[in-house]
This record gives sequence, structure tokens and C-alpha cells, in this order.
Amino acid sequence: MMAILSLENTSRLFWLGRYSERVYTTLRFFAEQFDAMIDGGKNFFDCTTKEDFAKKYCFDENNPNSIYFALIKAYDNAIELREEIGSDTFSYIQMAVYEMNKAKKSAAPLLQLQKVVDNIAAFWGMADDKIDDEQIRSIIKLGKRIERVDLYSRMGAMDSDIKREVARMNYRIAKKSLNFNSEHFEKLNELVKEENINRQALITEVESLIEFSSLMN
Amino acid sequence: MMNLSEHELREHYESVNEQLARYGVKFGIYKNGVFHEQLFPFDMIPRVIEHDEFKYLERGLKQRVKALNEFIKDIYSDRKIISDGVVAEEFIYSGSGYLVQCDGILPPENIYSHISGIDLVQGKNGSWYILEDNLRIPSGASYPMIARDLCRKSFPEAFEKNHIEDNRNYAELLRSTMDYVNTGGLTVILTPGRFNAAYFEHSYLAEQTGARLVTCEDLKVENDYLYFIDYSGKKEKVGAVYRRISDEYLDPVNFNRESLIGIPHIFDIYSKGNVALINAPGNGVADDKGIYYFVPAMIKYYLGEEPILNNAPTYLPYYEEDMEYVLENFDSLVLKDVAEAGGYGVVFGNKMTKHEKENFIAHLKSEPRRFIAQEVIDFLDIDIYENGNAVPRKADLRAFVLMADEPLVWKSGLTRFSRNPDSFIVNSSQGGGFKDTWVMAE
Repeated sequence: MMAILSLENTSRLFWLGRYSERVYTTLRFFAEQFDAMIDGGKNFFDCTTKEDFAKKYCFDENNPNSIYFALIKAYDNAIELREEIGSDTFSYIQMAVYEMNKAKKSAAPLLQLQKVVDNIAAFWGMADDKIDDEQIRSIIKLGKRIERVDLYSRMGAMDSDIKREVARMNYRIAKKSLNFNSEHFEKLNELVKEENINRQALITEVESLIEFSSLMN
Repeated sequence: MMNLSEHELREHYESVNEQLARYGVKFGIYKNGVFHEQLFPFDMIPRVIEHDEFKYLERGLKQRVKALNEFIKDIYSDRKIISDGVVAEEFIYSGSGYLVQCDGILPPENIYSHISGIDLVQGKNGSWYILEDNLRIPSGASYPMIARDLCRKSFPEAFEKNHIEDNRNYAELLRSTMDYVNTGGLTVILTPGRFNAAYFEHSYLAEQTGARLVTCEDLKVENDYLYFIDYSGKKEKVGAVYRRISDEYLDPVNFNRESLIGIPHIFDIYSKGNVALINAPGNGVADDKGIYYFVPAMIKYYLGEEPILNNAPTYLPYYEEDMEYVLENFDSLVLKDVAEAGGYGVVFGNKMTKHEKENFIAHLKSEPRRFIAQEVIDFLDIDIYENGNAVPRKADLRAFVLMADEPLVWKSGLTRFSRNPDSFIVNSSQGGGFKDTWVMAE
């Protein structure tokens, strides 16, 4: 049976999927770069120290590009979806926020941030297991898959990784939990057939797949 | 009852509060215009109400809610209680709770207060007193619901050894209450949104009852019926709205025109019997602090019975005789502004400076209808756990009475306590906490 979903909640589910993925993938990227900075000589985002990098890239709550910001956005969507996703599923996003706040105060943030990653992974697992309605599950997963293609394209992932993620996204699109733009879908799939994927064009196409995806972000 | 060591008590206290945080059991509060979410501190030592004592409360609460329902029906129809001189007219029409728009409207199944939150305190002499009736949007049931679940996980032995009524049926009772008046269609819970103080409760009750949580954006009145609009634009008829927004903001066409959280014309279709509103609009006429004074008389008038539960001794300065008493005994009384709620507008005569007292009395004399005065009840202190010790604190009990064909009292309630040793104010918005309420099964 299909859920009776309001437009707002449909959008929230989609963005919950996107922001939870953004936290997960950018945290992995952050951990790699943070580790590289331990040995010195590496600068990221104009940061010369790993502490400055953590502050700006990870924990700055006022920076819309920070991981903290993405997590709060995931929370803001999740808290308004309790009746759709259930308290148990919601609780993992809530715990991720607590762990992120602990990490912010920690001298060794990577250990605490691992718990954020664990909670995001548990959130997805719980969503898969505990949400009965296929459409609700599917919208969250669609958001997650679209976000991953978008992030991989922006963050310099290998073409083979992007192709794999597009294939996973296509599988989710085929579930038709949300209406998608078939023209952009076809263009996107043409782009990934090329030997050197045009990243900028790919980002444009993936961002245009779901028409209401500009809402609520 | 629990027989716990200090170490065990601390462990349970920490584990339950940690779990409450995990599930986002919070309330919202505005400080200097900025919204904050706060955890509602939970105390591990339960309030215990013996089986027979609860039976007594149950009888009294049912009686009271029945009479209050009769009163609302009467006020919006024949007003016999006024013409028979039992309740002074001034207290009806000058209060903010009376809605002229409700005159002549009978809600589905003639039920006005589907969910009543009746606040009680127990005096040191063991007697229970009614402090306040909440018949508009009483909140708080969700906290003991989820806390019980977590307490059973944290301390299963306590529930194994003691025969405690299971309170985890509230969602089921609430669902039946809503379904009883549903006029055909979906049941929804209408919330003003995320930044309402009780948003956790709205979303948790929606999850637990299976009702849809909606905002005004999701609902529309069309051709005399209410519809939920889904993401594709498809409409689904709504038969019952458990609205968690006040009368004033419910319908911008019929009430406050500036409301952005209401649904235009919902009151029109309610008045035609095409949707149930839970609780009914206009209930405020019966839970005004001034009307409280008349409830024992209402019980006699409508039910022909003696009140089972007592009010706290109350005086209405509006009556000359009572004004004299209040002025003579000012220092021993608590004075309440009938227009305020949430523990605000409550002052103790003996805590005022000379200057404050003079100003207050001048205000009282100029607006006597605005205040009630009550004897200060010496609440029975209840132990709470604090910094490794059990310390006594003031506490009240909000009992929930659900009305379908007959009133039903939830075998639990919200016990709130003051964390300040010198305070009688237990409201969460003023730093209070809550406890589990054990109603013994035998």
C-alpha cells in the first residue's frame, strides 16, 4: 500500500536522504584529509592546520558547506517526519547530532566522528528494516543515491565509481517513488557512457532529475 | 517500593534520561524570541497511587468531566445554569474562552471535551484537590507514555515485582476517542509546526496512534468537507481533526484573521457536522480559572450528585464578601490572574513587598473579575533524586480523562515536580521535571 504523503513530507524525506548521505560521504572525505594533514605540508580549503580545517569544514554551524550544517539539516527534516519514519529510526539522527557535538569539543575528533558515521549507517539500516511503506523508504534512498552521484562528481571521484553510483541511482529511479524528468535522466546516462565524464554537465543533470529537489534545502 | 541502592538509582536515572534524549523527548521554549529545544528532566523515583485511591480519583474525575461537558453544552444552547442563578453571567461572557460563534452548535456525539487534563495536588493531610481543569488542548500524555517504556527497559524487576497498571495503552485509547466522533474519513493531528512548545507530543502521538500529522498547508475545505491534499494533489476526506492549535488561530475566516496556521472555513463545516474537532472550539468557557469556582455547583446542578473531588478553597473577589475575605487574609492566599496559564500570573500574598502588595490590591479592586484567590495548599512533598540524594519537592498530577460514550480515566498521568525547593510552580516551561506515575493494579 502506498503512503498518503503530503508534498512537504515527500520533500522532507527526499532531503533527509540527501543530507544524511552528505554527512556520511563528506565525513569520510574529511577523515582522509585530516589524516593527511597530521604529517604536515598539506592544505585544504585554505587551512594550514588540521584544527583549522576541522573547525571550518566540519564544525562551523554557520557555514552552509560544513558537515555540521548538513547534519542539522538532516535533523531538521527528520524531526518533522517522526510519524513517517518512526521514533526508532529518527533516534539515530538524533544520536548523530549528540555525537557531532561531542566531537566538536574533542581534541581527537575522528574517533567521535566515527560514531556519527555509525549512527548514519544505523539510520539507513533502521529505515530499511522498520519503515513498512515502500514509497517512504524509496524516497529516502533516492535522495541518498542522487546526493552521492552529485558529491562524487564534485569531489573528484574516479569515473568508475561515478558509473557504479549512477547505476545504483538508476535502479532507485526505476522504482518511481517520485516523478522524475526523463529528458535529464537520459542525458545523464549518456554522459556516463563517455570515456571522460563531464563532471559539470553531470552535476547539472543530476540536480535537475527531481523537480521539487530545490525545495526545503 | 523500588528498594534501590543509591548507585542503582543513579544508574537508572542516567540511563532513562539518556534514552529520553536519544528519542528527542523535548519541549520547545522561546527565550528572548529565540526558539530552543530542551530535554524534559525525568526523575526515576515514581509517584505511587494505590489501587483504591486511584479508584476514588477515577470516580471523581469522571463525575467532574461529565458535568463540565454538560455545562459547555448548556452554555452554547439553553443557558439554564445561568437563568437558574447557579453561575453568574459575568463569568461566562467576559472570559476569553467563551466563543459566540459556537452558540447553537452541537458537536458530533455531543462531546465537547474529548481529552481533558485535570490538574490535582495532594495535600499533606492526604486529601486530593483539583487545581485546574484543562479542556482546550491539554498536553503532556506523551511524556509518561514513552518514559514508562524506557523505565521498563532500565528496571524490569520493579515492574515484575510490583503490580502496576500498564499505561502504554494511551495511544489506543486516544485513537478510539478520535474514531468515536469521526464523521467519515481520515483522522489527523493538526500541529502549528516544528516550533511549537509541544511539537514532540504532536509527532509522537501521530506516530503512536497512526493518525496523520498535518499542518494547515496539508488541509483544505472544499464543498463543505475537509480534505487532506497529498503530494500528487489527490484529495482524501478528513473526518476528525485532533487540533493542537488554539481556538483563536483555528480558522482565520471565523476567528483571528491574522492566523497563518489555521484552515479557512473549517469552523463552518464543523458547525454543519461534517468534521469533528477535538477538542471542540469554545471549551475555554469551562476551564477559565473563574469558572473553576462554580464546578462543584455544576456537578450538583447537572448530575444531582455531591462532588467527589474537592476544589482548593477558592474566593472570587468579584463577590463583595469574598473580596473582604481576600483583603483580610491576603498574606495567606495565592492569587491567580485568570487570563494567564503555564504557572504565570500566580503570586503569593506573603511573598510581596509592601509596595507590590499595594499595587496589586489596587489592580484587584479595579478588575476584580480578573483574579481568583485560593488558600495555599500545603502539597504533599514527593521525593526526587538529586545529586545522590532523595530530596522532597512539590509535585502535581495531571490526570487525563478521555470521553467517548463514557468518560475514561487513563490509569497513569503526568506527575510534574518543581526542582526548586522553595517553589510550588511545577511547569516544564519554568524548569520543572516529570516522573512516572504508578497506579497500582491491586
